[in-house]
Amino acid sequence: MNLIDIRNLSIELQTATKPILAVDRVNLTMKEGEVRGLVGESGSGKSLLAQAIVGVLDDKWKVDADRFHWRGQDLMRLSPEERKVIISKDVAMIFQEPMACLDPTTTIGEQLEEAVDTEQLTGFFWQKRQQRKQAAITLLHKVGIKKHEVCVKSFPHQLTDALCQRVMIAMALARRPILLIADEPTAAMESTNQGQIFRLLASLNQLKNMSILLISHDLENVTHWTNSITVMYSGQFVEAGTTEQIFSQPYHPYTRALVDSSPKANMQIPSKSRLMTLPGSIPVLQHLPIGCRLGPRCPRAQQKCVRAPKIKNFHSQQVSCHFPLKDNYS
Amino acid sequence: MFIFTLRRFNLFFFTMLLLTILSFSLSFLFPGEQLVNLTGQINATPEQLAVLANEYQHQAGFITQYFNYVSHLFHGDMGYSMASHLPVATEIFNRLPATIELTSVALLVAMFVGIPIGFFAAIYHRKTPDNIILGVAMIGYSVPVFWLGILAILVFSIQLGWLPSAGQISLLFEIEHVTGLQLIDILLSDSPYKWQAFIDATRHLILPVIVVALAPATIFMRLARTAMLEVLETHYIKAAKAKGLTFWQIIYRHAMRNAFIKVIRDVGLQFANLVTIAMVTEVIFSWPGIGRWLIESIYQRDYTAIQGGLIVLSTFIFIVHIIIDFVYAALNPLAREPRHGA
Ligand SMILES: Nc1ncnc2c1ncn2[C@@H]1O[C@H](COP(=O)(O)OP(=O)(O)O)[C@@H](O)[C@H]1O
Ligand code: SF4
Ligand SMILES: [Mg+2]
Repeated sequence: MNLIDIRNLSIELQTATKPILAVDRVNLTMKEGEVRGLVGESGSGKSLLAQAIVGVLDDKWKVDADRFHWRGQDLMRLSPEERKVIISKDVAMIFQEPMACLDPTTTIGEQLEEAVDTEQLTGFFWQKRQQRKQAAITLLHKVGIKKHEVCVKSFPHQLTDALCQRVMIAMALARRPILLIADEPTAAMESTNQGQIFRLLASLNQLKNMSILLISHDLENVTHWTNSITVMYSGQFVEAGTTEQIFSQPYHPYTRALVDSSPKANMQIPSKSRLMTLPGSIPVLQHLPIGCRLGPRCPRAQQKCVRAPKIKNFHSQQVSCHFPLKDNYS
Repeated sequence: MFIFTLRRFNLFFFTMLLLTILSFSLSFLFPGEQLVNLTGQINATPEQLAVLANEYQHQAGFITQYFNYVSHLFHGDMGYSMASHLPVATEIFNRLPATIELTSVALLVAMFVGIPIGFFAAIYHRKTPDNIILGVAMIGYSVPVFWLGILAILVFSIQLGWLPSAGQISLLFEIEHVTGLQLIDILLSDSPYKWQAFIDATRHLILPVIVVALAPATIFMRLARTAMLEVLETHYIKAAKAKGLTFWQIIYRHAMRNAFIKVIRDVGLQFANLVTIAMVTEVIFSWPGIGRWLIESIYQRDYTAIQGGLIVLSTFIFIVHIIIDFVYAALNPLAREPRHGA
């Protein structure tokens, strides 16, 4: 049974003139205990997709899906409130900018304590306050913060980005989630800190069997930590497969470009020329190409590409392209 | 926090410097003899004037004259009122408390009414309550104070007879002058009619306070609405949602405090506006405050009084501004840091 199974999820931005399809029929499936990478350039709609899953997008976004199953349960049949209850119980998310995700006027301790699930507390109500405090401290220990006394009394701006990110992870752990969505958890962080955060996430995955959706704009950055990868481009589904498949035989021209531009796959190319091998840049929401949105940048584009491609399956590897690179590998 | 305080003191010092320079130069700019404008001695004999000229070092350079003037100010000497021939300082001292009382009560009322309504509107953004509140705020803001004050007297004092229309308290009550602030003096007094006096003073306060508070309240409403809308868009609210907090938990625990801090920041600026409205209102309601006195002084061309009143009123506004800044710093941990405490 899949942990999460999403088919054709679309997110529309309601504007004064006409709605803009920011995310266009994206698929995402995850198995229990899996670490999946969600990769794509900045502006691909990865954060939007993640926020749509946890249901925190505001009214100006309209989310639609053909299927949204959570552990076999069809969430599309439930009301938004019921969906919210199920999701917030089992899914936790850490956001892109940890510092901005903490209330600047409330201490870390208070913010951690309110994340602690009341159901986990035993005892009478006068004991609960103390238990909450204790639970908050335990959480900090879990994410490797030893100086908890200082930390709980601090305000977010007094901590470094890496520490804030740990606090965010601690908060996410408070509800003992089954799935953790980590949106660029190491962006704007030094590489030593990056490693620490990734190792922390990996250990949570192994010890607690927690599934993780690891979002990153950098394919290279996450490959070491993921079992499988989904690639997105400009709000469209590109390709999904195991990390191995994506790396060794990308079928989609975009995935191919991502792999080619990563230094690991091209040890011989000097670092200076590690540029994206595709010309141009990702389109802005106001000027989305019709059909396959990679069209204007794609070396294999043909007339057919003005219609959006259907998803093709190659041994559990899914590709959304009219002209996949399947002849390149044998 | 220390640096924050130091900066406020700096600001205070320079503002006072500018204010006194302005007030001092007014004595030159007003028509008539500068020395007379400064001291208010319009009926002085030539001999007396000579003594004054000596005292104010009238023959020395401008800088010396200025410092001389400032030192007079420091000794509480603002000259004599040209109209009443009483010391300006005494006149002001007798009237300022009434203005402090009116403006501070009005400020609190405007905040306690305006800010929650603004929050409410933001929470129901683009829904009916929001639209109604915005409309009412627009009307409230554009009503002229003079008209509103007279209308309030017509309806509530004359037609309905609910509330008194003039003065601070009924003349029947004799309240000992301790702090000058009427309500506090009443509470301090041991008169057997203490509570009747208190109720009477409160009844006198209601109409002027409403008239003064209306326009600022609508401004606070809009400030609070914008602040709350901004806060609701922030990442930490989104993160709190993802944490599984309910909507109202988020509003109470995170959104309100952050939005309130944003509003408080602008309250100090609005206070100057509020004092201006209070001056007009004091005239309408015969409120024995400094605003009415200052407007009368303008009519009577009482230049000495105008200079003194200007300094005292501006200082009062500025002190309130600084107090509000400290409240802001107390609420906002970011403002207490040296690098943010601009
Ligand atoms: N609040 C917003 N208002 C308008 N456009 C937005 C907003 N948030 C994101 N977008 C747009 O949606 C697209 C996808 O954004 P995002 O999901 O943040 O991309 P990613 O996380 O992959 O970098 C981008 O083009 C971005 O400009
Ligand atoms: S569908 Fe066409 S434009 Fe899109 S990636 Fe495939 S070949 Fe390129
Ligand atoms: Mg993002």
